[in-house]
Amino acid sequence: MAEAETRPGRVGLAAMLPRDPALAAAILVIWALLALFVIYPLAALLMRAFVADGTFSLEPLLQVLAQRQHRVALVNSLILGALVGVIGTTLGFLVAFTVSRAELGKGWVRLIDIATLLPLISPPFTTSIAFVFSFGPRGLITHDLLGLKAANVYGLYSTLAAESLTYFPIAYLALRPVLSAIGTNLEDMAFSLGSSRWRVFRTVTLPLCVPGLANSFLLLFAASLADFATPLVLAGNAFPVLPTEAYLQITGMFDLKGGAVLSFVLLVPAVLVFLAQRQWVARGHYVTISGKAGPQSAGQGLSPSARWLLIAASVLLGLFIVYLYALLLYASVVVAFGANHALTLGHYKVVFTDGLKAIKDTLIIAFIGMPLGGLFGVLVGYLVARGEFAGRRAMEMASMANYALPGTIVGIAYLIAFNDPPIELAGTALIIIACYIFRYSPTGIRTTVALLQQIDKSIEEASLSLGARSFTTFRRITLPLVMPAFFAGLGVVFIRSMTAISATIFLVSIGWSLITVRILENMTELSLGPAAAFSVFVIVIVMAVTSLIGLLLERMKASLGDTSLSGMAAG
Amino acid sequence: MDSVANPVGIRLTGMDVKFHHRVKGEVYAARDVNITVAPGELLTLLGPSGCGKTTSLRVIAGFQKPSAGTVHIGDRDVTNVLANDRDIGFVFQNYALFPHLNVFENVAYGLRVRSQPQAVLEASVGDILRMVGLAGYERQMPHQLSGGEQQRVALARAIVVKPRVLLFDEPLSNLDAKLRVSMRGEIQSLQKRLGITTVYVTHDQEEAMAISDRIVVMNQGRVVQVGTAGELYRSPASIFVAGFIGRTNLLPAVIRGAAGGRLTLDIVGTAHTLDGAQTDLGSGSKVQCVMRPETIGLTPESAPGTVPGIVRSRTYLGEKTEYTVEVSRQQLFVVQFGADAERFAPGAAIGVALPVSGVQVLSGDQS
Ligand SMILES: Nc1ncnc2c1ncn2[C@@H]1O[C@H](COP(=O)(O)OP(=O)(O)OP(=O)(O)O)[C@@H](O)[C@H]1O
Ligand SMILES: [Mg+2]
Repeated sequence: MAEAETRPGRVGLAAMLPRDPALAAAILVIWALLALFVIYPLAALLMRAFVADGTFSLEPLLQVLAQRQHRVALVNSLILGALVGVIGTTLGFLVAFTVSRAELGKGWVRLIDIATLLPLISPPFTTSIAFVFSFGPRGLITHDLLGLKAANVYGLYSTLAAESLTYFPIAYLALRPVLSAIGTNLEDMAFSLGSSRWRVFRTVTLPLCVPGLANSFLLLFAASLADFATPLVLAGNAFPVLPTEAYLQITGMFDLKGGAVLSFVLLVPAVLVFLAQRQWVARGHYVTISGKAGPQSAGQGLSPSARWLLIAASVLLGLFIVYLYALLLYASVVVAFGANHALTLGHYKVVFTDGLKAIKDTLIIAFIGMPLGGLFGVLVGYLVARGEFAGRRAMEMASMANYALPGTIVGIAYLIAFNDPPIELAGTALIIIACYIFRYSPTGIRTTVALLQQIDKSIEEASLSLGARSFTTFRRITLPLVMPAFFAGLGVVFIRSMTAISATIFLVSIGWSLITVRILENMTELSLGPAAAFSVFVIVIVMAVTSLIGLLLERMKASLGDTSLSGMAAG
Repeated sequence: MDSVANPVGIRLTGMDVKFHHRVKGEVYAARDVNITVAPGELLTLLGPSGCGKTTSLRVIAGFQKPSAGTVHIGDRDVTNVLANDRDIGFVFQNYALFPHLNVFENVAYGLRVRSQPQAVLEASVGDILRMVGLAGYERQMPHQLSGGEQQRVALARAIVVKPRVLLFDEPLSNLDAKLRVSMRGEIQSLQKRLGITTVYVTHDQEEAMAISDRIVVMNQGRVVQVGTAGELYRSPASIFVAGFIGRTNLLPAVIRGAAGGRLTLDIVGTAHTLDGAQTDLGSGSKVQCVMRPETIGLTPESAPGTVPGIVRSRTYLGEKTEYTVEVSRQQLFVVQFGADAERFAPGAAIGVALPVSGVQVLSGDQS
């Protein structure tokens, strides 16, 4: 809604804020938090990288780029990102197309849904570990099945495969709504006009999907660019990439400035991709041909043989993922995978004795961050969607920044910003919690905005007209209505608090450790059994909590009725 | 529920509302609007879509800041007072019921906000639900109600807090025609019984005429005329109002002369004299005459004082018959009442008697 001219007589800050005191206070508080936990760390990072003795200089950047090793890492990162983008989008499209067009049985769809959900809620090393178990020197397939001696699992190909498998679910989730929005009626119409099926696909379906495909490519490119865990395990020395280089620069050589500069190199493509992706979404390039336009026929766009081919490919992909996870589970209950397959619970014993502190820390951090992150998401989403104040767009951008940037950058920025006075948070749980909240609340923010766009503004105005202050209105009307977004946002913060590592690896301390960091340590010590057991443990916890939240959301939807969220616009 | 003890008036003074339009730049949704609502009065804002009715109402409610001008409720300047502090009741076009609260809680909301004791609250909500015919619906959720029932809940919710001012934004536009007529009767009698000062927005002139004490006609962000339904119908100040209120004939004419309150003009090819027509315009001026369809008489053949015409179409509607009659290549819309009102067949040559009084003469170049 456009804003009416501000009345004369209110100047400066007062003129930029709403007249309502509670609203104005909320805006100021959110800005203060964003300034402290988003803007300040990034500024500190840039200062550390480019300002020496009070003068700005690009010298450090040139120095870093002068080293062959770093240039190779940059190029490798870009190549890997592009390849993951293409392959992951292809896989995602394949599965989305199969699910929306091939009339799969319920059971198969369920398998595919689980297989695509698993990588999204797993700790970052899961696929990599499973790859080692499957294709490593003593891997199930390379060693036992093919009889290869000393197979080399490390390098571009395995990193690419593991990342594609880890991230294609993002493409699947992005493309499925696009495909169902196009609807089969349109395709049937083209088909009935005499086009061949292949031609319909080429001239109708695919072109309509282009914006969705581009969007998903960019999402995957960004995910791969930011991925630190997979290359750390699988890329090896032969294929250095930027996030791992920056990590090694800091943890291996204790060169904070070098790490800062390297992460800046990462920042440039990340920002470009983020802006490009926003552009696609903002310009409304999404297919909006209504999915509601009458009943959809089952669709005739697929010939029987193509249908079977698609189903076979998708099911195979699903089965492969399930296989990887089964391998992980198996490796967690045998003495030493590949050498001694005697069953044992020893690894879990390690998890619950040695690992107990990490588990406790992680759970405390996750359970504190969860409600705060959910609330933050709903508040910012509310202000962005409903507030009328100067700098609303800027607030939205700032709230997305830590999410859009690769974790390595955010982690290094926090490390630099909060290591010394004035704000010394290093070594506390707070720094980790803050990192998770500001990095992973954008899901909650966007869900809130989307929900509020469906809830007519008049509902809140009705509350105001009845004498409720804006805070009362928010608490009694808006908050209950955006509860689903609150829980969705809180769920994501919880999942990420349990599974993320790229940023927080820089923030853990003797006082506060994380399960994911323990997994990394196990991996580097080559204790793969405990690493597998930790991963299984995390997956089980995350699944339990997310299903609980899912159940709650179902309940909420049922109690509100179907039409309720649209503002009761009868007629 | 008792009537309001001391109803208050509302005053909008010099109110502008500007919006920034992406293409057009600054656009005025309301421009120099001055409206006074008397205490206890039901005033309607009427006008075509986009004329600024909702915007003006939202300024009174406090949902919209005016770019200029002031708002008074009673003696209090509320221009900078937030909506929740204005003591208003607002009924929205889409009802805006709280979807997560049942009927009882929806209606009770304003009372809870005012921290009323539970016993008082229950009694008030019970009373008001009985009043709008919804006793027994307390536990229903909004999505389980019909449109008309939702409407009543919205009304009950707005009046249960005994606001000093009631504001309606096209409250009936989502209902079917029959329900619209009965609901507007209910709203009107309720408003009279409670005596709450009310501003009612509609784009339906029939609804406005049926319900209002006075009507404010708006066009393109400005107030163009204020008056009772009868005043607007009989003496529209502009062609726009004449066309918007009731059906009418606008006939071009040229003034020939004025004397002793009588005005002679050339109209449909003849000279015609009007009694009591007001105009400042001199001889030779081009004007438009507003002739309401029921003021034009029809006779079987040309008689003295009539002009010849031909019946082009006839619509029999029971208590009345509507004709289109061609006179001097102009189409006239005519309504006849009575037993033999349908006696003229299409194609028949007849005499047309133009009214000699009650005709509004408007300057011809205005629109
Ligand atoms: N928030 C806004 N931003 C920009 N322009 C607006 C806004 N609200 C209203 N307008 C414009 O102001 C003008 C008046 O709008 P308003 O809603 O008051 O019309 P209305 O008389 O209620 O019409 P309707 O009968 O269609 O409801 C319209 O041209 C509209 O486009
Ligand atoms: Mg309106």
